[in-house]
Amino acid sequence: MLRYIAKRFLIMLVTILIIVTLTFVLMHAIPGSPFNQERGTSEAVQANLEAHYHLDEPMYIQYLLYLKSIVTFDFGPSIKQPTSTVNDLLGRGFPISLELGLVSVIVAIISGILLGIIAALRHNGIIDYAAMAIAVLGISIPNFILATQLIQSFAVTWKILPAATWSSPKHMILPVIALATGPMAIIARLTRSSMLEVLTQDYIKMARAKGLSPYKIVFKHALKNALMPVVTILGTLLAGILTGTFVLEKIFAIPGMGKYFVESINNRDYPVIMGTTVFYSAFLIIMLFLVDIAYGILDPRIKLHKKEAE
Amino acid sequence: MKKGLSILFVLLAVFVLAACTANESAGEEDQDSGDQTGTTEEGTSENSGDKVLRLNNGVEPTSFDPPEGFDAASWQSLNNLMEGLTRLGQDHKPQAATAESWDISDDGLEYTFHIRDNAKWSNGDDVTADDFVYAWTRLLDPEEGFSSAFLGYFIQGGEAFNSGEGSADDLGLEAVDEKTFKVTLEAPTGFFLNVISNPAFFPVNKAVAEENPEWYAEADTFVANGPFKLSEWNHDSDFTMVKNDQYWDKDTVKLDEVHWAMVNETNTEYQMFESGDLDTSEIPADLAEDLLDSDQVVIDPQAGTQFYRFNVNKEPFQNVKIRKALAMAVNQDEIVEYVTKKGEKPARGFVSYGFEDPSGNDFRETNGDLVEYDPEQAKKLLEEGMEEEGYDELPPITLTYNTSDDNKKIAETVQQRFQQDLGIEITLENAEWNVFLQDQKDLKHQLSRSSFLADYGDPINFLESFVTDSSMNRTGWSNEKYDDLIARAKEEADEEKRWELMYEAEKVLFEEMPIVPVNFYNQVFLHKDNVSGIVRHPVGYMELKWADKN
Repeated sequence: MLRYIAKRFLIMLVTILIIVTLTFVLMHAIPGSPFNQERGTSEAVQANLEAHYHLDEPMYIQYLLYLKSIVTFDFGPSIKQPTSTVNDLLGRGFPISLELGLVSVIVAIISGILLGIIAALRHNGIIDYAAMAIAVLGISIPNFILATQLIQSFAVTWKILPAATWSSPKHMILPVIALATGPMAIIARLTRSSMLEVLTQDYIKMARAKGLSPYKIVFKHALKNALMPVVTILGTLLAGILTGTFVLEKIFAIPGMGKYFVESINNRDYPVIMGTTVFYSAFLIIMLFLVDIAYGILDPRIKLHKKEAE
Repeated sequence: MKKGLSILFVLLAVFVLAACTANESAGEEDQDSGDQTGTTEEGTSENSGDKVLRLNNGVEPTSFDPPEGFDAASWQSLNNLMEGLTRLGQDHKPQAATAESWDISDDGLEYTFHIRDNAKWSNGDDVTADDFVYAWTRLLDPEEGFSSAFLGYFIQGGEAFNSGEGSADDLGLEAVDEKTFKVTLEAPTGFFLNVISNPAFFPVNKAVAEENPEWYAEADTFVANGPFKLSEWNHDSDFTMVKNDQYWDKDTVKLDEVHWAMVNETNTEYQMFESGDLDTSEIPADLAEDLLDSDQVVIDPQAGTQFYRFNVNKEPFQNVKIRKALAMAVNQDEIVEYVTKKGEKPARGFVSYGFEDPSGNDFRETNGDLVEYDPEQAKKLLEEGMEEEGYDELPPITLTYNTSDDNKKIAETVQQRFQQDLGIEITLENAEWNVFLQDQKDLKHQLSRSSFLADYGDPINFLESFVTDSSMNRTGWSNEKYDDLIARAKEEADEEKRWELMYEAEKVLFEEMPIVPVNFYNQVFLHKDNVSGIVRHPVGYMELKWADKN
């Protein structure tokens, strides 16, 4: 196990290095610069600005400086928001994205699994169809449309919830619903299909034959195995939701991290592009790693390390 | 199996704990900001009847450092937090502000400003001539690298210093005494009092700035000298300003508090306006037609022009007749009425409406329509031009625009007109803004979309864009006569003559037609019925000094 973790850790480092390098190359390959403004500035000013952000150095020096900033986790100042460092931006935006993301993930998991189980138990019944209809809607309606509709109904028409911004728990309700509905639907469908499969297994019949209560059969015996596919998608789902979703954060005016991903590229704000990319990829890789570990624990047949298997 | 399960639980527990700590800190932060809002809310409820205006700034202000915040996101609020020597009044003309009066030397080169005795900073300090010398020197300092520095080129030695050739000591700035500030200019600049109302020319409290160079980064260190002061700033989320009781003209200010949200989505902004969370809102593009007739709509002109640039270095636009032919096939009325649909005025010249010459005539009205939609004439010119160049067939033409729905719709309308009226098939191409701008500057486009928004209220700001090699030219067009007219206009002390030169220059521009104007811009907003007195200047910044909410 330890050897496996060590090995995975090394692979993770290499992956991040590759991502960082690719981002660096791509970022400098796109035309335009952070100081590309409509009105030209004097050459002296241009030179000073470039020197300030080390953009006058040869590429390899810039690359090394960048690697250094990753190791020390100090990405330097943002070019577009000169009074903030990239660390400031991440420090401001990430807790909010995380808060919104965590609540949404928890809501999505609990409601998705419950919906899936109910649908599987009432297989081909009205409840099944209803639950799956909700799930299909949840998958097919893009969250930004759902979001706009939620605001229109709850804030504009009925005036029972605030339309946007992020200042009280009440403000969380609409964005959480908008963000959680899609993942909830996916989880519900996955849970339902794998639950249906598990329920036909011999050991469930055995449990039934033993006279266990249906409640115990579902939650103690069936659910654990039925959750495997759900666990598989959790990693990407988590990373995606937790690091902020650009569109929803924009619609609800939530000061999370999502906007930095997109705006930094539009602004050619090199330090912010690199900072957010490294942060996001590290987060994603760690999530996937945790999922792999959880996988091995949930299903002992999956051996994480070949030698251990032998 | 049991072991596996327990490990799983441990992992889960770790995850949940991590989540909880994250949540806790997030919760703490929330509590903090909650407390803060709590206090302001308390403050509000204590003095119930306080006038709180709720506005939207769209995004985080780039910077509240005056020369650095050179964009609408910073101006809107900064213009109400601080004040320069002059401030644009309700008629958009410069009024006495921090300076109560000024003397101008006969040659128009020396301005001596007398700063009000009761002009104070929000911390109680006097606003002094030194604060202006300090701020304006910084504006031009090449080490600072402010993109607004070009505005200071009117000041003697300004351009040299900013280009790294001169020094700060040679600038024409002098603090004669504590309240007297003398500025020497490069050339007589009839509109100088207008230019210095721009936020880039706001004073900076020297004592505060020297002690804390980042004084402008947070609400508790910010010192204001305008109608309002900054009371709270939650970065990327919202900020609040309250009436500045140190302001010399505080009795005029009616609002007690202005709250700025940062909602960067027009639909949401409009929904917040509908639900009562905002007092003003922009109009979502899809609803423009329906909302434009509503009583709540306020339309103010903006000094700016949307236009297309020909690249005169690329075939077939080296030929002036072909340029004119295409220009005359652009139907401005059609675009304004059916495409942009925000009540804009069609542009048949480059300088927008709203600039009055010494005899009180509007520049645009005086200089008239310099290009008009005329398909017949266009066809004729096209034939003549093609003959001159020996074309049997026109070389392929590509129109490039920066990616946006509106730009696309306008380009398609133009494309259709060219096809219907002239039988020319052109290709449309779009590019992301930064790429687009770089290519346009490098003269890689053939025909490309552009917009110009004025920095200050004088036609010269528009017209000097097209002098040879200006960074705003981007057409490859160069004309000695035009360059000469602009150069003379910039030197001319006699206002009458200066305007004559500018009128003539614009005519030369349209005889040569390196551009096709499309429309002048508008600022369209919805205001709640109980909101009044918000002044939006054509140059882009707004005034809340006279605003009221009942």
